[in-house]
Amino acid sequence: MKTLQSLSLATLLLAGGAWAGDHRYALSPTYAAECGSCHVAYPPALMDAAGWKVTLQQLERHFGSDASLEPQAQREIASLLQAQASTRSVHEGKGAAPRLTTTAWFQRKHRPEELHGYPLPAVPAGSKATPMAQCQACHRRAEQGDFGEGSLKPVSGRR
Amino acid sequence: MNRFRPLAIGAALAFLAGSTLAASPTSPAELQAAWLAEARQSNPALRAFSAERGRSFFSTAHGGDWSCASCHTNNPGQGGAHAVTRKLIEPLSPAANPRRFSDVAKVDKWFGRNCKDVLGRACTPEEKGDLLAYLLTVKP
Repeated sequence: MKTLQSLSLATLLLAGGAWAGDHRYALSPTYAAECGSCHVAYPPALMDAAGWKVTLQQLERHFGSDASLEPQAQREIASLLQAQASTRSVHEGKGAAPRLTTTAWFQRKHRPEELHGYPLPAVPAGSKATPMAQCQACHRRAEQGDFGEGSLKPVSGRR
Repeated sequence: MNRFRPLAIGAALAFLAGSTLAASPTSPAELQAAWLAEARQSNPALRAFSAERGRSFFSTAHGGDWSCASCHTNNPGQGGAHAVTRKLIEPLSPAANPRRFSDVAKVDKWFGRNCKDVLGRACTPEEKGDLLAYLLTVKP
């Protein structure tokens, strides 16, 4: 029993779970390719299943862009997101177009006092860019699912 | 353990399934030939695609906010950045990036998405052919 239990837990972790506490997430190749072309492939474990479900239902109008998927990819990613979604209320995706960046957890982690002087990415006037969508600007290994503090970009003049 | 097992199996299946999406290899020349045949069904007089029309198609907005160049930049021989997320986008010209226009499914997927974003409709075979004719003239 014990072996089986560790085995299932190991599978869960390998299949896309987090290494608890260090903010590193394994991303499946399909997910990384299909959901990581226009933005960093956001870790599935950082939003709840309901939030992901709503997101997948409206991929044709995905925050101003058509992000529709082929039926097979859509099915794979839907089941992957349901399997890996968070069950914590702090990760609840809110509203008609849930955003990972508006969950209670994300907002708490990116409060000014949590950033310790980290500047948010600069957005030139007239640009459509949004600072919080640019994970890679500070989390240098975000594309590999690594959001650990060790991979944060150093702030000039401090470590 | 019963709490974990269904989740673990589901996740493992989803993970394994990740490698099953088939590639559908092609080349710019093959795509051009297919689009030319398709375009001639509605315009039998069409002889060849035009790189000049493609260049203009690429760099102008089509009634909306965005053009192809908004993300792919005015020089598709170099990389660009997504207009909202600033994520790096690899060069679009096949000479600069041989993986471009090498997979039918990807080509169809991205024309499908981006034409709707930029034009509010699907691109015609002639527009796709002109665009690729232009991109083939762009060297890194």
